[in-house]
Amino acid sequence: MSILLRSSEINKLPVVTFAGEDIAQIKDVMYAAHGGRVGGFTLNGRGLFAGPLKTALAWETVVGLGPDAVIIQDESSLTPTESLLAAMQSSGQPPGDILGSQVLTDDGAALGVVIDVVIEVAGDGSSQADVVGYEIDPAEGWGRGTNPMLIPLPDTLSASGEHLMVPAAAREFVTDDLAGFGAAVDDFRAHLRLRGRG
Amino acid sequence: MLFTEAIGRKVVSTDTASTVGRVRDYIVDPRLPGIVGLTLSKTSGEGGALPWSNIIAFGVDAVTVPGAAAVVVPDGYLTELAAKPHTLLGKRVLSTAGVQLGTILDVDFDPAVGRLAWLLLEQAPIAAGRLLGVGSYAVVVRA
Repeated sequence: MSILLRSSEINKLPVVTFAGEDIAQIKDVMYAAHGGRVGGFTLNGRGLFAGPLKTALAWETVVGLGPDAVIIQDESSLTPTESLLAAMQSSGQPPGDILGSQVLTDDGAALGVVIDVVIEVAGDGSSQADVVGYEIDPAEGWGRGTNPMLIPLPDTLSASGEHLMVPAAAREFVTDDLAGFGAAVDDFRAHLRLRGRG
Repeated sequence: MLFTEAIGRKVVSTDTASTVGRVRDYIVDPRLPGIVGLTLSKTSGEGGALPWSNIIAFGVDAVTVPGAAAVVVPDGYLTELAAKPHTLLGKRVLSTAGVQLGTILDVDFDPAVGRLAWLLLEQAPIAAGRLLGVGSYAVVVRA
């Protein structure tokens, strides 16, 4: 069983050790593989007035990511932020911020602007957290109203920090709530694989 | 036996047949997982802790001890585990998948050896063998 989470829901989640102590909270999600998966997290201290920490959390040391907490073994799971940032850059960190990028189809239509990132975490806890979609503020010209839409992503994508390219077929798999989105992502990726074969 | 049903139970010395205190709370080591001692209220002496090894029997009406000397000043190990961050009742439960499963309403334990059996939550009980740690923020259990 896997779960879908918005990156905005992950921000501020407590980081809890096996010993039951909340030693930090998530500040930001760091993406690896050109924005295709979660690489790690930058951290804030706990409490109202706590600032950013000098340590960060690499995805490899995360035991579990769920709707209520990020679970790690103990403090030794944390790494210095700088070395993790360097590792992210060499593994293909997306240039710039994904939020605010314009989503363009490969046939040249603007679908909207990214306002959130949808992350799929596999239930067995051992595998990676994939970026499977974006929540977008739909472009006016698209005629889908003004409510945020969820758009599924292919397994691999290209991002420049300014634009995100998606196949034109992504348009047909758009949903407006997270409940049905997992199926939409699966359908969309299956559709792309079929087309790739034929 | 449940944690809540034995709170307030008399602790009686078998040599003088007098009450030496009442059960106030449980000192739990999550690594066992089991009860390693009790904190007592209404004790006469200085100490307020009863190590599990000093107990003769944890009975349905009273906890029996050989004498008043069984109640001691807690050592470092007991003091640390007796501190507030390590209490179980009322604490939120997180699985290692990062999902909150509920809060601990009660704990079922084996009074013969002090081993914890079940953590009782609003929903389904959790086998105490899944317990990983008890801290100030949460009780963490294996998913």
